[in-house]
Amino acid sequence: MTDQTRPPFRLNNSELWTGVLGIALGVFVIRSGLKLKLGTINDPGSGFMLFYIGLLMCAFAVTIILASVTEGGPTFGSRWEGASWGKPGAIIVILSAYAFALEPLGFLISTVPLMLVLLRVIDPVRWTLAIPLAVLAPVSVWWVLKHGLLIQLPSGMFEIG
Amino acid sequence: MDVLVNVMHGFGVALQPVNILYCFIGVFIGTLVGVLPGIGPISAMSLLLPVTLSGTPESGIIMMAGIYYGSMYGGSTTSILVNIPGEAASVVTCIDGHQMAKQGRAGPALGISALGSFIAGTFALVMLMLVAPSLASVAIAFGPAEYASLMVLGLVVLTFLTQGSMAKALLMACIGIVLGLVGLDSITAQPRLTFGRIELIDGIGLVPVVMGLFGLGEVLLNTEQVIKRDIINAKITQLLPNKEDWKASAGPIGRGTILGFFLGILPGGGAVVASFASYALEKRLSKHPERFGHGAIEGVAGPEAANNAAAGGAFIPLMTLGIPPNVVMALLLGAFVIHGLQPGPLLITQNPGLFWGIVASMYIGNVMLLVLNLPLIGMWVKLLKLPYNVLFPLIILFTIIGVYCSSNNVFDVYVMVGFGVIGYFMRKFGYEPAPLVLAFVLGPLLENNLRKSLILSQGDLMTFVERPISAACLVLAVVLLIAPLLPALRRKREMVALDEGV
Repeated sequence: MTDQTRPPFRLNNSELWTGVLGIALGVFVIRSGLKLKLGTINDPGSGFMLFYIGLLMCAFAVTIILASVTEGGPTFGSRWEGASWGKPGAIIVILSAYAFALEPLGFLISTVPLMLVLLRVIDPVRWTLAIPLAVLAPVSVWWVLKHGLLIQLPSGMFEIG
Repeated sequence: MDVLVNVMHGFGVALQPVNILYCFIGVFIGTLVGVLPGIGPISAMSLLLPVTLSGTPESGIIMMAGIYYGSMYGGSTTSILVNIPGEAASVVTCIDGHQMAKQGRAGPALGISALGSFIAGTFALVMLMLVAPSLASVAIAFGPAEYASLMVLGLVVLTFLTQGSMAKALLMACIGIVLGLVGLDSITAQPRLTFGRIELIDGIGLVPVVMGLFGLGEVLLNTEQVIKRDIINAKITQLLPNKEDWKASAGPIGRGTILGFFLGILPGGGAVVASFASYALEKRLSKHPERFGHGAIEGVAGPEAANNAAAGGAFIPLMTLGIPPNVVMALLLGAFVIHGLQPGPLLITQNPGLFWGIVASMYIGNVMLLVLNLPLIGMWVKLLKLPYNVLFPLIILFTIIGVYCSSNNVFDVYVMVGFGVIGYFMRKFGYEPAPLVLAFVLGPLLENNLRKSLILSQGDLMTFVERPISAACLVLAVVLLIAPLLPALRRKREMVALDEGV
């Protein structure tokens, strides 16, 4: 995403908040490094690298914040200007649900509905194409993996597949 | 003479029927993903990484390499015919390639692109063959300090070349290093950042991270807007460029090849930078720079040769030093590691069959690509008409399967979905994923070499500046870190900044 117009500093400046998030992550990494023990300079411990990388993260995040304060930055809203955020949002929700259903239901039972939903809900494809594609694509992939490459996909509680 | 014997040995490996088949599959898939916008070589290689397990290391790596250089060929087709780059290295080809197609010269544009790519690819291979063994013998003298400094340089170069704020790119690189350190400490065997999850003891997998950030992240971004395709429907004739076309293209192909090859070797550099640099160079050298942007064949020939030469050059740091210069090579490193092999100075002497087999397969692959690209243009054009609302569910399906097959673990599917969401938001907020992925791969190697060099030098930090190679790498890294503060250099950086870091 390119920032063509730089509005003056506002609290909903997205650059500022990503910088704040960077500092939070940096502090977490520093803390983890300290917990793991830094060791000494001639015998660095498990937390040595994490600690110093955490410090660098904080430094870079501060640079981002300073730039956002001095130069301004785009707002959260402007990042989605002219874009339909609903579609990626829906895909994220659908995929999260799928990830949790994959193991208990098995690959075939969970993937056929996933494909159908993706084909029909996000940017609708006609039913006559959506149904065969939603069934044939997962089934053929499952068949090739199982019989051709001897890779077992999850069969779930119903042991289908 | 030794080189000839080795090449013959390599052809003996590459010409085995199974390896020819894997090479064909690789270049075919490479061309396919190069042609299809929304899926690139990174996604395809991550997807097929588990498949390489079913064959010999030679076969798997031959296929993976084929996908990479195949995608460089395929990417130009979409750029010329649809004005959508199939992958990042073909962005520049859109400018003059699509204009040529609009003027009814799609055939020569596609022809010069394929032939220029072939010439550049072949040159890069000859150089790889000649340079890699000598560089490997020098690299044997590298100690942990040199490796650590070289990795720092690689990360800094990539962050320098990444589009947008350098602070953001450096923050991404740091996050990548942290993610790479998740799991057991290789020296003390202490678990780090595992949050009590047994699945994280071995660390986070490269495949779910890459597939999430590049595969799913890209899909989420693409579904936000309607992808417009301005497909050239006229019948494509006269694919072979005429005498005037060759005359105009010979210089750009030669210059693009040499420039691309050297930019490909640089850690952090690669095909994208090479294609942009070649375009800028040709425009500067041209007697009629005003023709650029309006269908100048030089604007197609130079960048296409450059990106293919860079793809060949990028194998050198991986094969001789064991350091991947870009994300694609990081995935190839993953393929080596899966088979219990460690690319580096000893690879060529300990596994000559593997190294020379891969090199020889690239010759065969380049010929296959020439055969695939010219007569099959019609088929690729038909594929381009596949609408994105049909394509993206298939990409998601293959992403899920690729991730699951890489570890047979549903946890990795969660990781992939998580990184897909992170990748989407990263792009929305102007944070490039390439430095994160390269740092994720280099992080554990960097830590290991840094700690080893500190232990060996008994904590003396001067060890990094007293060794000439290490000192040179660090000085260059510092210069690049300071460079964006100087306005003139900042402008130069913005000119060559790249999208995906591949």
